[in-house]
Amino acid sequence: MAVRTIEVRERVMARNDGFAADVRRVLTDAGVTAFNLVSSPGSGKTLLLERTLEALGEELGIAVVTGDVQTQNDADRLARHTDRLVQAVVTGGACHLDARQITDALHAIDLERTHLLFIENVGNLVCPASWDLGEAAKIVLFSVTEGEDKPLKYPKMFRMAEYAVLNKVDLLPYLDFDVSLAVANAREVNPELRFFFTSARTGEGLDPWFDFLRQQVRVAAVP
Amino acid sequence: MHELSLALEVCRIAEEVLEREGGRSIRAIGVEVGDDAGIEVESFRFCLEALVSEPPFVGGSAQLLPGVGSALRLAYVEVDDGRPDN
Repeated sequence: MAVRTIEVRERVMARNDGFAADVRRVLTDAGVTAFNLVSSPGSGKTLLLERTLEALGEELGIAVVTGDVQTQNDADRLARHTDRLVQAVVTGGACHLDARQITDALHAIDLERTHLLFIENVGNLVCPASWDLGEAAKIVLFSVTEGEDKPLKYPKMFRMAEYAVLNKVDLLPYLDFDVSLAVANAREVNPELRFFFTSARTGEGLDPWFDFLRQQVRVAAVP
Repeated sequence: MHELSLALEVCRIAEEVLEREGGRSIRAIGVEVGDDAGIEVESFRFCLEALVSEPPFVGGSAQLLPGVGSALRLAYVEVDDGRPDN
């Protein structure tokens, strides 16, 4: 048999990254800022988005794509806070969203009426770190019930993120959680990480988050 | 699950190479995996070995090679032309 060894050296993520580049181009051309929201399950991504839609939904055109392994529960919760379409991607077992799914979801979103796109990724601090979805930035959430060492346990996710939201700060009086240690751990893996400290439940700390989003929309606006 | 989807993508690229090269089957593949690729290596190896046991893979050989940083690349494909040796 004639067996030949073909040198390939093709990146396994090349196809996904091609889709991501297309998504990024489409969003940039439309003046839409997209954030990829990542966290472990139960950190409060959906509640933070519900509060954000309540506060800014009329002021800014906000679209949401949610990813869940199973069910449309998150999309249903968010849809109660907006008259805009909330796109649900049920991954059917996959542990992350990929850029092809975002390409498909964008077809259903009216980008001309959209300033801000949130992609609520599957709750998982490992796999979504490796998948570029065409977002402007990844925002990693973690909560004060999870332990200060989350950034050290999942360094790639904290390294890939530009922003971090430490959520459920209303519970701090009842816990031994050390905020400064958590921030130090996060900055050890990513010194540039910008923090928000929030309670999506009580509303504490949400004003700086809302101001940040308004500013991001202004910067991205198509002249 | 993550490792399985990546392994499937490796095999898809390998099958593209097979088609491009006009070969009949794939005897072996080599994949570079960096320490920061976000992959559990043994799980990835398990998924790859399961996938390369089916046609157009013949022989079931998948070699993992050390890569740099977050590298995750299909390094080589051994393509069998299906022609007898001269």
